Amino acid sequence: MSNRTLPVNIQGNHACALGAVAAGCRFYAGYPITPSSEVAERMSAELPKVGGIFIQMEDEIGSMGAIIGASMGGSKVMTATSGPGFSLKQENIGYAAMTETPCVVVNVMRGGPSTGMPTRPAQGDVMQARWGTHGDHPAIVLVPSSVKEVFDETVRAFNLAETLRTPVILLIDEVVGHLVETIALPKASELDLVDRKWADGPKKGFQPFAVTDDMVPPMPRPGDGYRAHFTGLTHDESGFPTQKPEKVAQAVGRILDKLERHRDLIESYEALQTDDAELLVVAYGITGRSARKAVAMARDKGLKAGLLRPITLWPFPEAALKEATKNARHVLVPEMNAGQLCYEVERICGTERIARLNRFDGEAISPAHILEKIEELA
Amino acid sequence: MAVAESVDNFEINDYLRLEMMPHFLCPGCGHGIAMRALLWAVHELGIDKNKLAIVSGIGCSGRMGAYVDANTFHVTHGRPLAFATGLALARPDLEVVVITGDGDALAIGGNHLIHACRRNLRMTCLLLNNEVYGMTGGQVSPTTSENRLTTTTPAGNLEPVFDACKLAEAAGAGLVGREVTLQTPTLKDLIKEGLAYPGFAFIEVISDCTEIFGRKNDLGNSPEMILSQKKSMRPDSYGTVVDEPFRPNSLPTGVLARNDRPEYGETYRNFAKSKQGRAK
Amino acid sequence: MAAKTRKAATKPRSVLIVGVGGQGVIMMSKVLALVCQRQGLQVKQSEVHGMAKRGGGVFSHIRYGETVWSPTIPKGEADVLLAMEWAEGLRWLDFLRRDGGAFIADTKRIVPPFAFRSRKYGSQPIYSPEAPREVMEMVGSGFALDATKIATELGESRAANTVLLGVLSTALEFPVEDWQEVIAQNVPAKALEANKLAFEAGRDWADANRSAPMEERLKDLPGRDDRRAAEIAPKTVQFDITGEWCKGCDICVKMCPERCLRLNDEMIVELSDPEACTGCRICEWLCPDFAIRVRRVPALEPVA
Repeated sequence: MSNRTLPVNIQGNHACALGAVAAGCRFYAGYPITPSSEVAERMSAELPKVGGIFIQMEDEIGSMGAIIGASMGGSKVMTATSGPGFSLKQENIGYAAMTETPCVVVNVMRGGPSTGMPTRPAQGDVMQARWGTHGDHPAIVLVPSSVKEVFDETVRAFNLAETLRTPVILLIDEVVGHLVETIALPKASELDLVDRKWADGPKKGFQPFAVTDDMVPPMPRPGDGYRAHFTGLTHDESGFPTQKPEKVAQAVGRILDKLERHRDLIESYEALQTDDAELLVVAYGITGRSARKAVAMARDKGLKAGLLRPITLWPFPEAALKEATKNARHVLVPEMNAGQLCYEVERICGTERIARLNRFDGEAISPAHILEKIEELA
Repeated sequence: MAVAESVDNFEINDYLRLEMMPHFLCPGCGHGIAMRALLWAVHELGIDKNKLAIVSGIGCSGRMGAYVDANTFHVTHGRPLAFATGLALARPDLEVVVITGDGDALAIGGNHLIHACRRNLRMTCLLLNNEVYGMTGGQVSPTTSENRLTTTTPAGNLEPVFDACKLAEAAGAGLVGREVTLQTPTLKDLIKEGLAYPGFAFIEVISDCTEIFGRKNDLGNSPEMILSQKKSMRPDSYGTVVDEPFRPNSLPTGVLARNDRPEYGETYRNFAKSKQGRAK
Repeated sequence: MAAKTRKAATKPRSVLIVGVGGQGVIMMSKVLALVCQRQGLQVKQSEVHGMAKRGGGVFSHIRYGETVWSPTIPKGEADVLLAMEWAEGLRWLDFLRRDGGAFIADTKRIVPPFAFRSRKYGSQPIYSPEAPREVMEMVGSGFALDATKIATELGESRAANTVLLGVLSTALEFPVEDWQEVIAQNVPAKALEANKLAFEAGRDWADANRSAPMEERLKDLPGRDDRRAAEIAPKTVQFDITGEWCKGCDICVKMCPERCLRLNDEMIVELSDPEACTGCRICEWLCPDFAIRVRRVPALEPVA
């Protein structure tokens, strides 16, 4: 992109807020929680300027409910939280998935479980982001690793949510959320923004959850005359509850399939020196940045190391991993948790080649730490 | 006479999703009567169905929205007021009605209720109070009268009762009212007042659960139940009744409180407008 | 003036004031009695009230003269019958002197609740059918006016009794100042102005109409045909049941005031006594399943 505005020094959480506004977010509901509160604070200042609405709700559950309600009304919406709040939001995230209501949920990860360490970094919510709500449900989870990437991925989160009518979760490391970097913000005209596909066909016989070619039916907007029904109960194409096995299978199957069908749109990753990599590091978020440095240091030492840094965590970029591990004898998965994404890597590459590097003491994993492990494996 | 004349052109079928009928509620369930009163009020106020948004929670009350030919949102347990807050703020052009129950609004969703009252955002909240969790088989709820039998109070309810209207009034709701289903035209008028109110209107409808709660407590059949509810109500204004109730569940009816304050949506929009002016 | 009054009162004169509770019958008779006392006359007043709460019949006999023995008026001897309510006026018509007794009546009808025996839509209350025009023709002299309307136009409908006092004052020979002073002493301070105006309005009305020929006076009064035209057209009840929606909860059957519904063998509601149904719609309102629809349709149109 060219013609950028002047570079600014900005914190990751603020970049998230600005990315949201740039993406067209006009409704934000939130609840104060460390280390995500700066997102809410920035939104409370930015949204009124563009005719949007900010509301601090009475609790995390209410925040999630309010953004879904506003999205059903036609707004692009977002909320931000951290671990404990993310747990509380899960039921309504499932509701958004079931009713195919676009929304962006930011989780600035902190140490857990429970209240854990509010001000310390961790990557312990990787599996919760995928499986936090009950039942089989789709999940798009994005993990930026820099302030610039926070901005870009926030915009992309909105585009994916609106295109695919599904909740999109943005996992931000506490370290990235509070990191101040100098970035150039793109101009509004430079952004490719997607607007939701709204129903505009005949009102009579309209099926709000019809099986369309792209698996994403147009959404009826209240006031446009469709008078549709939305429910978290398993529903058929009409939107009304059903328990017929074939209809249930079709309904749940479609909201899962629509992600599979659009993997090319969703998947995003950074592959660094993977062609000849005999040792591949798979790392994400702030750990991905450490890994990038570690791989460079390893290459300097003549070790054939490479990096696959998933930016889309879920659905996991499976083909990219397979490609990147073609020549790899070892696959190292450093994570700031007791081991979560490594299970997905093991599923794809088999357990034999996998090595883990885990840390859940509230400290980030340093390049030296990863290099040490690379050398150990080499 | 005025009532008889004014209802003449109200056809409830115009407001129902006929393909969904008959509805799934048990015989004699007062929720159906409350639903008629709501749709009757909507009709008399001339509210466009396309602009009517009904947000309901989980439970017997929550299911009623699906039968109304409007924009209907059947959301998660206890959360309809939170969803409606988002919807009403994002779409002030819609007529937002929340249908909730005693468990939905006073137990799991109690927090949203008090803050919705406090915020005074324009919407109408109908709490259909049947004193029990009917959908799950008849467990005790925050409004179950003392000593009543439920499937989780085998020796009778030991907990005190919640007065939803007092709660709503204390939390600052713009308009607070209560009515029994037996007084359908009066209930309709109360709901009309709520719909027309430029703020948060909270209306508690004393409904009956005949099949589960009534049977368990030997309260008689449906007609007997709705008549006895009427008997235990006192049609009087809140301030003039003595504090000592006739019966443990004896409650006043009518418009019980009015607290005219700025409507939150408008307050926020004005604030946002001032910010936009400054930006330019 | 005083001598003339005394001479006129050698034989006691009788005024009968009738109406329904709340109209001010007692107040009017008190005013008249006080005006008479001011002339140095004996006054006897007897009344029935209290049993008739608001809406029930109230009457008051006033007799005055040099010497008055009996407190009540024999039939056919009232010099003036002042009726604040139309049917009450008719009820007491026998008391009016046949030879020139004055009939002063408000044409207002106050229909008591128990007059509505039939709950059928369009049925008429049990109330005197006589219209003002035919009664006035029968009485031959007197005044029938819509005093309530006159008072309402003055801004105080409750001053209708004072309008009638104004009319009465023109039929009796007491000084107008006495009337005005007594009225001023007997009405609430805040209603003083309205009552002054009402009294004048009554006098003005009487002055304007006294000299008019009877035919002229009768012209504007409603006749029996006018009343009939205003009656509500009879209607029949159209009763629809959506049997598939009915769950047999029995609410409509038990709540029906006419007991004209029942559940059939399949526990579906049906109209068992169509003749008894008044179309009140209570069953429709209370049906939790929206299975009943009740409409009143004009009787002459065929029921679809």
